[in-house]
Amino acid sequence: MAEPVDEESGEAGPLDLTPQASRPQRRARKPFSIVVLLAVVAAVVFVLLRTLGDASLFFYEVDEAVSARAELGTERFRVVGTPQPGLVETSLDGQAAVVFTLCVADVLADVAHLGDPAELFQPGVPVVLQGSWVSGDPPGIENLSAAAEDGWYLRTDHMVVKHDNDYRGDDAELESCGVGS
Amino acid sequence: MADSTTSTGSPGSRLLGLTTLVGLAGLLLFAFVFTEPDVRLHPTTGEEFGQFDAVRLLYLHVPMAVLTYVAFLTCAVASAGYLLKRGAWWDVTAHASAEVGTVCCGLVLVTGSIWGRPVWNTWWEWGDVRLMTTLVLFLLFTGYLALRRTPAEPQRQARRAAIVALVAVVDIPLVNRSVEWWENRTLHQQSTLAELKIEDLTLFTLMLGFVVFGLVFAWLMLHRFRVGWLEHAQAGHEVALAIAERHAEMETLDVDAAIGQTGGGK
Repeated sequence: MAEPVDEESGEAGPLDLTPQASRPQRRARKPFSIVVLLAVVAAVVFVLLRTLGDASLFFYEVDEAVSARAELGTERFRVVGTPQPGLVETSLDGQAAVVFTLCVADVLADVAHLGDPAELFQPGVPVVLQGSWVSGDPPGIENLSAAAEDGWYLRTDHMVVKHDNDYRGDDAELESCGVGS
Repeated sequence: MADSTTSTGSPGSRLLGLTTLVGLAGLLLFAFVFTEPDVRLHPTTGEEFGQFDAVRLLYLHVPMAVLTYVAFLTCAVASAGYLLKRGAWWDVTAHASAEVGTVCCGLVLVTGSIWGRPVWNTWWEWGDVRLMTTLVLFLLFTGYLALRRTPAEPQRQARRAAIVALVAVVDIPLVNRSVEWWENRTLHQQSTLAELKIEDLTLFTLMLGFVVFGLVFAWLMLHRFRVGWLEHAQAGHEVALAIAERHAEMETLDVDAAIGQTGGGK
C-alpha cells in the first residue's frame, strides 16, 4: 500500500497514528431529523383535517339539502340522491343542460345539470352533484312525470356516480325512492 | 464466491415463481375470458348499464388493496421487533415489506383511478376521504423509503425508519374504515365481500386474484428480503475489510519501523 503523502512537502511520510480526540457529536442532526419527522406528521394531519373538515366535501342527502335550503342560500354544496326515471335535454343560459329529479326516500328535488350527464347515469343509480339552489322552475320540468316542482331547483355543473357495492349482475338491486317508495 | 451469495434465487423460490406465473395465466383467463362484463338491463328504461369491462379491474385492485395492508402491517410489526430486539433480520424485513407495500399501494391508486373514470365519471376526487387517506398512506411510505436512502449510520437509520413506520401505519385503520365512518364524504363503495354482494364466477375470480397476487407478494418479499440481507452482509463485509486493511497498515508500519531501527544500528 502506498504511504501517505505529506501535503506541504509532497513527500511520502509515515502515517500519523497519534491518538486523536474523537470528533464531537453533531448534535444539530438529531433535532433536525425530529423537526423533519414532525413536519411530515403535521403535513399529514393537516391534509386529513382539511379533508375531513371541509364542508364543501360533505355530501348532503337530498332531504337534508331540502331542509337546509334557507341556510345554504346560494352556497355551493354537494348533494347525493337517486335520479328518478325521466330526463329532459334542454338548454340553460345558452348552455346544454339536462333536467331530472333526484330523490331520497319520498323527498324530491329538481335538478338542472349543465353539461352532459355521467356515462353511467341511470335512474336508480345514485349520483353526487355539485351546485347551488336557485329559485324558480328549470326549463322542461313539465315533461317530467314525477318532478318536485316546489319553486326551487338545484343548478349543478359537476356530476359523479356513487356506484354501489353490488356485483350480482341482474340480481343487483337498484336504489328505489320517490313518492310511494 | 458461492452461488448463494450471488443470487437471490433458490429451488424453492423458483418453484414459487413458476407457480405464480401459472396462476397469473389462469387469472388472466378467468378475468378476461371466462367472466362476463358487468352489464345489466335497467328495469325501467330497458337500457344496458353497469360497469361493463371496467369491472375486470376488481380482480387486481381489491387484492392489491389487501396486500398493501398486509405489507405495511408486516413492516410495522418488523419495525417494532427491531426497536425491541435490534436485530438486522427485523430491519431487513421491515424495509422489504415497505418497498413491496408501496408498489402495491401505488397500483391501488392507479387502478382505482382508471376504474373511477368510466364508473364514477372522474379520475380523482380531491377531498374524498378514501382516496385521500390512501394517498397519504402512499406518501408516508414513500417518505419512509426516502428516509432509508439518506446517508446515516445504519443503526440510527434503521431506528428512525422503524419510528416512521410505526407512525405511518396508524393511517391503515383510517383507510380501511373511512367508507363506514365517513360514508357521506366518499364516492367509494362499502365492502362487497362483507355484505356478500358478489357471487358465482365473479366471486371465484376475485378469490383466485387473492391467491395469485398473494403468491406474487410472497415471491417479491422473498427476493427483496434476500437482496436486503445480502446488502446487510456486504456492508458488514466492507467494514471487516476496512478494519483488516487498517490492521495490515499498522503492522506494515511496525515492520518498517523495526527495519528502520535495525538499519540505523548498522
